[in-house]
Amino acid sequence: MNKFGCSPAYARRIRDDIDGVAVADLVETFGSPLFVYSEGFIRKKYRQMHTAFSTRYPNVAFGWSYKTNYLNAICALMHQQGSLAEVVSDMEYEKARALGMPGEKIIFNGPHKPAAALEKAVREGAMIHADHLDELYDLERVAQGAGQPVPLGIRLNLDAGIYPQWSRFGFNLESGQALEAVRRIKNGGKLRLRGLHCHIGTFIMDASAYSRQVKKMVAFAYKVEKLFGFSIEYLDIGGGFPSRNRLKGVYLTPEIALPSVDEFAEAVTETLSKELRPGDFPKLIVEAGRAMVDEAGRLITTVVASKRLPDGTRAYIVDAGVNLLFTANWYKLNIEIDRESGGVNEQSIVYGPLCMNIDVVDEGVQLPPLSRGTRLIVSPVGAYNQTQSMQFIEYRPAAVLIGESGMVDLIREAESLPDIIQREKLPDRLALKKLP
Amino acid sequence: MQKLARLAISEEGFVFDPASGDSFQVSQTGLEILAGLKNGKDDGEISRWLLEKYEVSMEDALRDVADFIACLKNAGLL
Amino acid sequence: MPEKCRLTVKRTMNGFYIGISGINAVDNPGPGIGVARSLREDTDLGAKIVGLAYDALEPGVYMDWIVGKSFILPYPSSDGDALVERLLYIKRNHGLDVVIPNLDAELPLYIKHAPMLADNGIRTFLPDMRQFRLRGKDRLCDIASRINISLPLTKVVNSVDELLRAIEELGLPVMVKGIFYKASKSYTAAEAVAHFHELVAEWGYPVILQQVVAGDEMNVVGLGDGEGNSLGMVGIKKLSITALGKIWTGVTVKNARMLAATENFIHEFKWRGPFEMECIVNGDEVFLIEINPRFPAWSYFATGVGINLPSRLVRRAFEMPVPPPPRYEAGKLFVRYTYELVTDMTNFKKAVTRGETP
Repeated sequence: MNKFGCSPAYARRIRDDIDGVAVADLVETFGSPLFVYSEGFIRKKYRQMHTAFSTRYPNVAFGWSYKTNYLNAICALMHQQGSLAEVVSDMEYEKARALGMPGEKIIFNGPHKPAAALEKAVREGAMIHADHLDELYDLERVAQGAGQPVPLGIRLNLDAGIYPQWSRFGFNLESGQALEAVRRIKNGGKLRLRGLHCHIGTFIMDASAYSRQVKKMVAFAYKVEKLFGFSIEYLDIGGGFPSRNRLKGVYLTPEIALPSVDEFAEAVTETLSKELRPGDFPKLIVEAGRAMVDEAGRLITTVVASKRLPDGTRAYIVDAGVNLLFTANWYKLNIEIDRESGGVNEQSIVYGPLCMNIDVVDEGVQLPPLSRGTRLIVSPVGAYNQTQSMQFIEYRPAAVLIGESGMVDLIREAESLPDIIQREKLPDRLALKKLP
Repeated sequence: MQKLARLAISEEGFVFDPASGDSFQVSQTGLEILAGLKNGKDDGEISRWLLEKYEVSMEDALRDVADFIACLKNAGLL
Repeated sequence: MPEKCRLTVKRTMNGFYIGISGINAVDNPGPGIGVARSLREDTDLGAKIVGLAYDALEPGVYMDWIVGKSFILPYPSSDGDALVERLLYIKRNHGLDVVIPNLDAELPLYIKHAPMLADNGIRTFLPDMRQFRLRGKDRLCDIASRINISLPLTKVVNSVDELLRAIEELGLPVMVKGIFYKASKSYTAAEAVAHFHELVAEWGYPVILQQVVAGDEMNVVGLGDGEGNSLGMVGIKKLSITALGKIWTGVTVKNARMLAATENFIHEFKWRGPFEMECIVNGDEVFLIEINPRFPAWSYFATGVGINLPSRLVRRAFEMPVPPPPRYEAGKLFVRYTYELVTDMTNFKKAVTRGETP
C-alpha cells in the first residue's frame, strides 16, 4: 500500500551511464551481459583506505586479496597503487608472478599449498603463512633442501567476538594450539617465525572486533618473542571489511548500518598504540578485498522476457543470473534501470537465464513495467562475482574498465565455444559421423 | 463485465470495488484500458486505440493490455 | 522596521510545522499521537502537526483534530536520500520546521541526516550516532555499569546454535528480543527458536536473549538537553498490559533509585533528546531492561501530570527558554481506551494516489 516507499520519484533508480559512459554504448560495443569496473573508484577507494590507516600508524602495507577479483587489470591497478599480492592458492600465486610481482611482494595464505608451490614460494622469498601443522612439516622439508632457516608467518584463529568464529583456518590462539605450533617451529630449528596473520571473518560490521583481534595478536607476538626469541616483524590483520553492500537480513541501509573505514582504522591503530611497547612499530598488513573493489564493479544485464506468475507476481528473465552473480545469494543487490518507464512500480522477481530454480537475482524488487531490451545495472558486484562466475550453460561475458579519463578498455573478452571445449578430448570412436 | 461496471474509479487511478471492499491503484494507461473494457471493447481494439494515442509499438500495446487483463483476472474483476 | 520585527517574533512563537512519525495508534501503538496531542496542548507553540506515515491506514492520518495534514514517507529501510528528499518536498510544499521521529527503525536515518536537514531549515533534537549506538540492546552492559543499575544476564545471538547455548546459560523462561522491536517470553527452547526465526525474518540479526527477572515493570520517560541536564522525567509503573505487552493502565511512581539512575544516564552520556528507560524493580534492586532513544507510546501520561516533554523538546530545539520541570505527583492514573471514528475515503484515496492527505 505504501507506494511512496517505492514511488517513481524515490525508488525508481535510473542510470543511463557509468562514469560518464552511456550504458547503451557499452552494451552495443561489448555485448550483454557486461561487467563494468571503474578505475577512478578503485584508485579513490585505495587512497581513502590507505590514508585512513597510514595517517594513524607509521608502518602500513596493503595486500590485494586476489580471490576477491583477480582480473589482471584489477590486480595491476592495485599493485600500481602500492599493494602487495595476497594469494591463497598455487594458481593465484602463479597469476601474481605472471603479472610480474616478485616473490617477496606476495603473501601466500590458504589451506592448500602443494609441496611444489611451497618450494617455489620459499625460493622466491614469498611471505608464507602456514595454516596447519602438516604445512610446517612440508616447509621444514623445503628448508632442509635450502640449507638455511626459512622465514615464515603463521595464521591464527581467535575469538574476537565475531559469530560465527572462523576456526577452520590456522592455529587456535585460546586453546594453546598456536603457541604449541611456535614451539614446534622453534624445536625444529629449520624455520624462523617472523610474522603473524589472522583473518577474523568476512563482512565484519563491528569495528571493535578488530580491536579485540589486534590486542590478542600483539600479546601473542610479545609472548613468542619472550619464550622463543623470534622477532615478529609484521602483523597481518587480514581483511573482512564490509563494502556498502546490503547483506540480506539487515534491515537498515549499509550507509547507516556499517562503520566507516576510519572507524575500522581507528579501532586497529588505537589498539596498536595502546598495546605495543613504545618504539615498537611492526609492519601492519591489511588485506582489504571486498571493501576496496565491490562498489567499483557493476553488471549490465538485459531483460529478455517478462511474465506473470500464477500468483499474479510480475517476473522478468534477464541474461545474467547466479552464474555471474554469486553474491546475490547473500546480498540484496541494487538494481537500476537504464531508461524511464511509465507505469506504477510493482513488486517483481528477477530471474537469471539458467534453467534452474535457484537462479534468482532478486526475489522481490520494486520495478515499473519494463519492456524487453531494458538494461538493468546491478551493483555492487566488483567483489567475488568475477572470480566465482561459472560457465554452466552460458558463456561468461566481457569485462571492461572505465579509465579516469573516460576511456573504456576491454579487460576480458567475452567467451565463445572454444573456451568451453578446448580442453576436452573426444575419443575417435565417439566422433559423430558427418552426415552425407 | 458486470464487475467492472460496479467499480468506483477516480481520475487519479484509485479504484474501489464496493462489493468486495478492495481498492486498487492503476496507472493512466490502466485507466484507459479499464474504460475500454467497460465500453465492451476487446483487447485488440483497446491496443489499437492506445497505439493511436501513444507512441508505442503494437507489440508493446498488446503486451500491456494482456498484462493488465491478467491483473484484473487475478484480482477477480474479470 | 519595528513592524517587521514584531511579525518575525510572532511567526516564531505561533505556527511551528512539526513533523510527527509513529501516528499508527493501533494495538501496538506508535508514540506519535500522544506526542502530537502534547504539542497541541501547549497553545503558545501554535503547533501545526504534520503526520509522517508509512501506511495510508495509520489511524493518525484520519484524526484531523490532532494531525493537520499527513504525508506518506519512504520506508526507513530505503536510502537516506529518499527520506531527505521527501522531507524537503514537505517543507517546500506545506511547511516543516522540526521533526520528531518516534520509531526506532527510523532513528539512525534521522540522526545521520540531521545536519543536512538542519541546513535546510528542518530541526531535530536527537542523540548523536555514538550515543545512539551505545544504547543498542547489545551494548546495555556498559551503560548499566556506568549509571549504577543492574542488568539481567544478556546474550547476543546470531544463530540457532548460539541461541540454544545461550539458553543453557540463562535458563528458562527467557526473553527473546529483536534488535529494534518486539520481545517475547519463551518458556521452552522450541518456543525461543520459533521467536528467533520470526524476529530474524522481520528485523534481521542479531537477536538478544535476556534472563527473566522478577519484579514490577517500571518505566521512565525523560528528555536530556545534550549537556548533561534533564529537561524533565516521569516514572510510571504498568498496572495492566495488553497481549502484546503494551501498557493499558498505569500509575505514576517516584522510585528514587530508578529516577537517580535515569539522572545518571542523562548526565553520564550527555543524552540529547527523548528516551524511555524500561526497568524491572525488585525491592531495592533496579534492573535495566532497555533504553529506547525516543518517546514511548504513553508519553501523553507525562503531559497529563504536568510535564509536557514534547513541547519542552520543541522549545529547546528552537533555543527558547525551558523552565525547570515542575514536580509531578505519584499516584496519578493512566487509562487507555478505545475509540472509533467514521469517515469517507477521501484521505485514504489521496494518501494512496498522491502520498498526502488534502
